[in-house]
Amino acid sequence: MMARLARAEMPRLRQMLFVAGAVAALEAVNRLTGVSGSLLVAEIIIMMVFASSLNLLMSFGHMVSFGHAAYFGLGSYGFALAITRFDVPAEAALVFGPLLAGIGGLVFGALCVRLTEIYFAMLTLACAQITYTVLFQWYDFTGGDTGLTGFMTPRFGLSEANFASAAMVLALVCLYVLWRVVHSPLGLAIRSVGQDRYRAEALGLSPRRVQLVAFVISAFFAGVAGTLFAVFHGNAFPDYAGLGFTLDALIMVVLGGLNSFLGGVWGALVYTLLKNFVPLMTAHWELILGLILLAIVLVMPHGLAGGVKRLAGMLGWGALR
Amino acid sequence: MILVQLVNGLMEGMMLFLIASGLTLIFGVSRIINFAHGSLYMLGAFLTWQLVPLLAPGTVAGFFGAVLLSAVLVAVIGTIFEMLILRRIYGADTLMQLIITIALVFILRDAVRTIWGPNSLSVPMPDAMMGALVIGDNFFPIFPFVIFGAGLVVVLAMILVIHFTRAGILLRAATDDRGMASLLGVNEKLVFTLVFAAGCFLAGLAGGMAAPYGDVNYLLDTTVIVSAFIVCVIGGLGNLYGALAGAMVVGVTKAMGVMFFPRLAMVLIFLIMAAVLVARSLGRQAGPAR
Repeated sequence: MMARLARAEMPRLRQMLFVAGAVAALEAVNRLTGVSGSLLVAEIIIMMVFASSLNLLMSFGHMVSFGHAAYFGLGSYGFALAITRFDVPAEAALVFGPLLAGIGGLVFGALCVRLTEIYFAMLTLACAQITYTVLFQWYDFTGGDTGLTGFMTPRFGLSEANFASAAMVLALVCLYVLWRVVHSPLGLAIRSVGQDRYRAEALGLSPRRVQLVAFVISAFFAGVAGTLFAVFHGNAFPDYAGLGFTLDALIMVVLGGLNSFLGGVWGALVYTLLKNFVPLMTAHWELILGLILLAIVLVMPHGLAGGVKRLAGMLGWGALR
Repeated sequence: MILVQLVNGLMEGMMLFLIASGLTLIFGVSRIINFAHGSLYMLGAFLTWQLVPLLAPGTVAGFFGAVLLSAVLVAVIGTIFEMLILRRIYGADTLMQLIITIALVFILRDAVRTIWGPNSLSVPMPDAMMGALVIGDNFFPIFPFVIFGAGLVVVLAMILVIHFTRAGILLRAATDDRGMASLLGVNEKLVFTLVFAAGCFLAGLAGGMAAPYGDVNYLLDTTVIVSAFIVCVIGGLGNLYGALAGAMVVGVTKAMGVMFFPRLAMVLIFLIMAAVLVARSLGRQAGPAR
């Protein structure tokens, strides 16, 4: 009895130690490296939420969303539009970002889950481009290509370091909820539909409904990230819903590692660091990025998390799963 | 006025078809979505810019010579990529194939920017094609007609190749049933390589021909690939004639949309694409379970 308890509890203890260590490390960087360090930490944290939301779809639902920036952008605009067009106080407007993204996910997702594989990816792309074009062209409402600016003090006037800490707390909550989703009966359903939708259907699940729920949850958290990003910069631009952010998120998930909960987190960390530092050293950042992607596909298809997991396995640590 | 826009739409449709035909050809045979197709198009445009002054600047023959030569060069580069890298991941996850072609997008963009710089370049039109036809009150620039004619030549050539040559028979066999074709002794590897080369050739050709039409810069890749996707999806991925129809639908919709509701033109095109995809899913539902 004791032995079983211990076996069940130990990984949890290690997990908590790992999370505490990661938070402590990020907070140390946040507090000790000045303003530029804090800005970088904040960006990394926001991207961790964004990438993890996409990871829920890709790693567990095996749904390749090729337009995830749509929900990131809707998050930013839901927040910014609530303030500028509906005079909602900024603090209350925070709710509207994720809400709009979730609604967007519900509408687009209901269409997208009717398709599979490459056609699913194409339809998500179409939905994202529709979102982007509407944001870009509806001058009277969304501000068009000049976006929405000057509607709030960036970061609610918090110092860079304090904002990064606050974002960290929120990101922890988001990741915890996503973790619970993945390890709940719903998460099992999402995984089983992802692995074999026909078998899942034979077991009594409704694949489309399960996928739609996953899609909406994913869109909601992408919206949280988008809202945070809008607060961070104090603005919202159509580009937030553009192909660039979609590719960023995809690269983060693939780089971090498919089929692993922390894939998005690792990917966001490493990709954001690379994106910020490599261009300082060389003009050939895109070449390097291309070569990294080639290496991932050809050499380590499970990304960084796969590598870390293998290393942890060698050391007898199971916590990083 | 409507007539002018209709003509413009058809012209743009032909251009779009030239871009999309290569993409859909490759998908039809090897089930690879080549995200780098737009990058190869861009490469074709830059190579044409480089070659036009070297051959016979200002003449029609010089322009088309430069375009053809660039298309061949693009095909060579594409073939090298296929043989070295792409070949290893046929049959892998769709996502992995997508990522590997995205990697090529970044590499080519970097290469193009390093070689030709970040500024927009423009390719001069051949002198003989500068003018415009005047029909009634309407002006029709000649150049688009030339592009349209060239596009028709390409379409006809493709139909002839596909229906009346051995290569075309192999191509159709591989598109219909890859496994059976290889069982019957078709060299699958060779077919895949040749089809990829042909697709790249078409991308380079389209890029070269469109080069005098607008700015040539390193941001062309993503705009082009998105329109090519739309066209292919509307026509049915892998379906060459579908791509022709899809290209015309998109071209005309764009031209008409600009006239009647300029802001919604792009949204409308994406809506058509979404509608086609959703209709496809409804059709599948009625059919037998896969």
